[in-house]
Amino acid sequence: MSARSPRGSFSGVSSAEVAADFADSLKDLQGNNRYEISNLTIIAKENTEHAQDISQALINHIKTTPPPRKLPAFYVLDSIVKNVGTPYTVYLSRNLYDTFMQAYTLVDGNVRRQMDAMLKTWKEPVPGSMDPRPVFLPEVVKPIETALMRARTAALKHGQPPIRNTPTPPNLNGQYSTPPAHFQQLYAQSQQVPTHFQTTPVQQQQQPPYPIPPYQHNEVDVVKANVASLVKRTQSEWASNLGDKSVRDRLQALLDLQKVLDLQQLDPVSMQAVKAQVDALSAQAPRHSTPIAVAPPVASTPQWQPPLLAHQPYATPQQTLPFQRPPSAVQPPQPAPVFAPGQLESLQALFTNGQKPSTPQMRNAAPSLQSATHGQLNAMQNGVASAAQPNTNDLISSLFKSGFQLPSVAPTPSQQPPPSLPVNMAQPPAAALPDFNNSVLASLMRTMPNITSVAPGASKTVRWRQPTASSLKTFNPSLVYALYDNQPNQCSNCGRRFPGTEAGREKKQRHLDWHFRTNQRLADPAITRGNHRQPFVDEHEWVALKDFDASTATADATAKQAQPVKNRPEEQFVRAPPGKIVNKCSICQEDMKASHPNDDWVFMNAARWNGKIVHATCLAEMTGGSAPTPVVRGNPGGGGSLAAALGVANEARRDRSATPDSLLGKRKAEAAMMGQGSRMRVE
Amino acid sequence: MALPGLSLPGLSAFSGPAQSTSTPAGTGGDSAFAGPSSITRTESLEPRTEWRFEVSFAGSYTIRLLSGTAEIFGSELAPNLLYSFSGVKAAVFTWQGCRLEIEGEAESEYVGSETEYAIEWLNVHGILEGMREDAEAAPQQGGSGGPRVLVVGPEGVGKSSLVRSLTAWGVKMGRTPTVVNLDSREGLLTPPASLVAATAGSQMEVEGNGYGIAPVSGPTVSAIKTPLVYHFPYESPTEKPEIFKGIVTRMATAVTSKLEEDAEAKASGLVIDTPGAALNDPRSNYDLITHIISEFSITVILTIGSERLYSDLTRRFGSNPSSPSDAVIVLRIAKPGGAVERDVSFLKSSRQQETRQYFFGSARETLNPHSQVIGFNDLTIYRARSSAFASEEDEGDNDKGAADDDDDDYEPTAGNDNSGLLFDKVTPSAAMMGGLVAVKFCASSSDLETIRDSAVMAFLYVADVDEARKRLRFLAPHPQRLGDRALVWGAWPEPTAGLVG
Repeated sequence: MSARSPRGSFSGVSSAEVAADFADSLKDLQGNNRYEISNLTIIAKENTEHAQDISQALINHIKTTPPPRKLPAFYVLDSIVKNVGTPYTVYLSRNLYDTFMQAYTLVDGNVRRQMDAMLKTWKEPVPGSMDPRPVFLPEVVKPIETALMRARTAALKHGQPPIRNTPTPPNLNGQYSTPPAHFQQLYAQSQQVPTHFQTTPVQQQQQPPYPIPPYQHNEVDVVKANVASLVKRTQSEWASNLGDKSVRDRLQALLDLQKVLDLQQLDPVSMQAVKAQVDALSAQAPRHSTPIAVAPPVASTPQWQPPLLAHQPYATPQQTLPFQRPPSAVQPPQPAPVFAPGQLESLQALFTNGQKPSTPQMRNAAPSLQSATHGQLNAMQNGVASAAQPNTNDLISSLFKSGFQLPSVAPTPSQQPPPSLPVNMAQPPAAALPDFNNSVLASLMRTMPNITSVAPGASKTVRWRQPTASSLKTFNPSLVYALYDNQPNQCSNCGRRFPGTEAGREKKQRHLDWHFRTNQRLADPAITRGNHRQPFVDEHEWVALKDFDASTATADATAKQAQPVKNRPEEQFVRAPPGKIVNKCSICQEDMKASHPNDDWVFMNAARWNGKIVHATCLAEMTGGSAPTPVVRGNPGGGGSLAAALGVANEARRDRSATPDSLLGKRKAEAAMMGQGSRMRVE
Repeated sequence: MALPGLSLPGLSAFSGPAQSTSTPAGTGGDSAFAGPSSITRTESLEPRTEWRFEVSFAGSYTIRLLSGTAEIFGSELAPNLLYSFSGVKAAVFTWQGCRLEIEGEAESEYVGSETEYAIEWLNVHGILEGMREDAEAAPQQGGSGGPRVLVVGPEGVGKSSLVRSLTAWGVKMGRTPTVVNLDSREGLLTPPASLVAATAGSQMEVEGNGYGIAPVSGPTVSAIKTPLVYHFPYESPTEKPEIFKGIVTRMATAVTSKLEEDAEAKASGLVIDTPGAALNDPRSNYDLITHIISEFSITVILTIGSERLYSDLTRRFGSNPSSPSDAVIVLRIAKPGGAVERDVSFLKSSRQQETRQYFFGSARETLNPHSQVIGFNDLTIYRARSSAFASEEDEGDNDKGAADDDDDDYEPTAGNDNSGLLFDKVTPSAAMMGGLVAVKFCASSSDLETIRDSAVMAFLYVADVDEARKRLRFLAPHPQRLGDRALVWGAWPEPTAGLVG
């Protein structure tokens, strides 16, 4: 059923043709479009036999494409090496230094930061992979890092302290107007080129975010008019100085802004920010070339500044990513000033898609995270990606955890549905039937002429204590109703039904997310290759196991399910931090390997101790807290706990009587079972 | 079966799962009726009719639901999704009418309109739901929990189908019923020769046997269910009733403990599937049925297709003068019009497919077994005593012979089963080739009762026995080391040839 794309869709075609096709598709890649990128990744994956030419095509593209498109192209590269791996890693790492550095010199500071973040992820293992090796070999990444470091140091010597928290605008020495060409000044420039509207958050910060001035509709028109005139001015400016990249970028950003303003309504906060920015620009534009005019932008988010305070409302993210926003006008945009509608979704989609969201992707999905540190994003990635069923609330809560503060409009975190069944499913269908359902039943009954005696609420009548042969033969439409019509919300992937209630919808949403993640994982040969059976469980494990539906469980529910298992040290586990699948227990110094029993990377038999992950059994031994338990260390796949349980089971079994107690009186039997059960559970 | 150079069975051998095998190994005359050729055709079904079809193991048959609603043994078909079947005798039932698109070759296919059975089955589901609601409403402690259902009846009357339907409907209502299979001729999430309990916490499947798949190391399309497995290497419980009873007791202990741990599962109850002929023998005074009923505290007995069984069981369990509330409900359920006896060769193919799928997975989830070579000295293999080995028996002939004489008859319950003779420690021999060996959750030095009662960790397939070099090659389902475990080899199921190579 899993619709796997046929292998080798280009099979029989020469490498050159495949590469040409690939290059063509690359040319269409205008921005950071996840679907296009993953599509290109899939093409690359299916044509590994042409990897060399495809790699070459990709590198050529990166080299030749205009700077604004370089980053998306790099994301294709990133996605391919992370999701396909060899042989692409080999081919792509050959020229990586040149490719990377050349692009780095040409792009603006914003993109550079994203490239830095991407580079950082290349030093780490592919998140969620068993393979502990980094994405690219250290000898590939290291030279790039060294070069960048040298550039930064050089910039430092030029009297541009990279770390600056003072609001004082620096003395620019007229550097701004020099085109960004010299490599030595690369870093300094990255701070100064006021491209896009990255300056806006700072301005926003300077004015108190609250109370928001009343937002009036005619303001929009004013802003639009301002933008239009700005566009005109910038156009003429650009016409007079075609080579000036900063002007062109600014023009591009303005055009984007114009588009956004025309297409959609902004919430008051963003509107305010846009307005302020446009006003400032209108004021500056004529005097553009004088350095003082650009002072405020320069203060914006220097590269090494600690993250800006999170309560700054996000401002005009649309300019940077107009294409990322699904054009959904469904949600009214006024709440949630931090995330525009759609951003949250795109961020969420990033987490749910099962692929490893790279840092730049995350930053792009939610521009308000632009200023987040890698660590914060990591924490968030950890918090969200590790949850079994990320949903909006999880995302928000993990944002909270990672240090973001949302202005009190987080979408209803309290509406988390109870992890158990929706109430209405447990109710007899008859009780839940309003009039409408009667009519459904009536029509149902019309199709079955021989049934006349069955009342709509008949499910109660089925509860015979002593059902008779005739009552058993009477058709009871309410039972069919409960199985079908009462659960109208059907999953098209597997036919599973959900009630038409709000809880049912949420459940279905989680279920669909689960399908999506599962299919992604199934499509990944790196995950599916080498699949094998797990050992069957023994009695203890089976008894303690709570069978729940992973496809609809929330993270909360999952955590709760896992709770009772944590009693014994060898059954404790710790979620693996992203990218970390090997760990050294700092007590016994043995290696621990992560496993993924339930879609989630965890260290089995593990606990946190002084902030480090150690064997739970070691910790128990050291603290002397619990009774002596058989210590089985770090066996991946839960084999350790299994073996430990086995030891206990054998102990328990040995003192059992040899013959099975074949007890006839069933109450007595049950009592005996209970006794035995508890004996099985002790130790 | 000498297979030199087979070092990576997981990668090389899995070229042909059951579906694509070109040799219809004993699928029982499937070539005679080459039904309609593989033209796509559409069938419209009236409400409460069903589309019955039988597909050989070599055949492939796909069904797509175009409109309306339809289910196979309680599992609903998703609209416009292609479901494929092979080695299946089943029926697509519709309560509300539907249109199906069908493609492929079937041994037989037709619309069945005598579907009164379905109404009864659904009403049984209604009764069980009522009892589950009661159990939920009742206070947790001391509450007797949900219905504990035992399904009994002769061969080929649809017992397994009923169990599957009741489970699927229950799951659809948000329940988590526990399913117990006591028929060692068929696996449930496992190879045959196992007695299994599994709590259905997630959806039932349309394809396959409906229960999805037991845990594997990676993502799966099918829903995962975790079975508790015991080894019963005999075709029929009557062969070794004492062992059967011992395992039933053991399993009932575990199941009861589990239900006590999990209130939801407790309220959802239990459905037990049983082997046909073996349990229904009036001459044994329903000894085994009685044992199951008491061990699992059965509250509902469903009898299919046998009036006598219904009558006998009603008399025996239907009323309890001392405490009427404890009386077991005994119901007689109609046999489906489409129920067919599955012949010996079909069942054999079915078992071989189960065995194959245990190691290699299905077409949807391919798995890689691992080859292991182990010296005779590093193994402790027990052979489960069985009449099948009687011919080569050279010690203990006397008492064993007595048992053999009775073999065609019903089992003379006690007598020959003093526990010392449960297992023999054996040196691996060529006779083991193609057989299944159970790895038990107990040390190899455990006493025989412990070995008998221990749950199964894994099954191994004996790929090769090199008696000269005293080495044994296994196919193991997972790469984990076995450790010091007791291995038990039984004569059941029959050897599966050609699993590797």
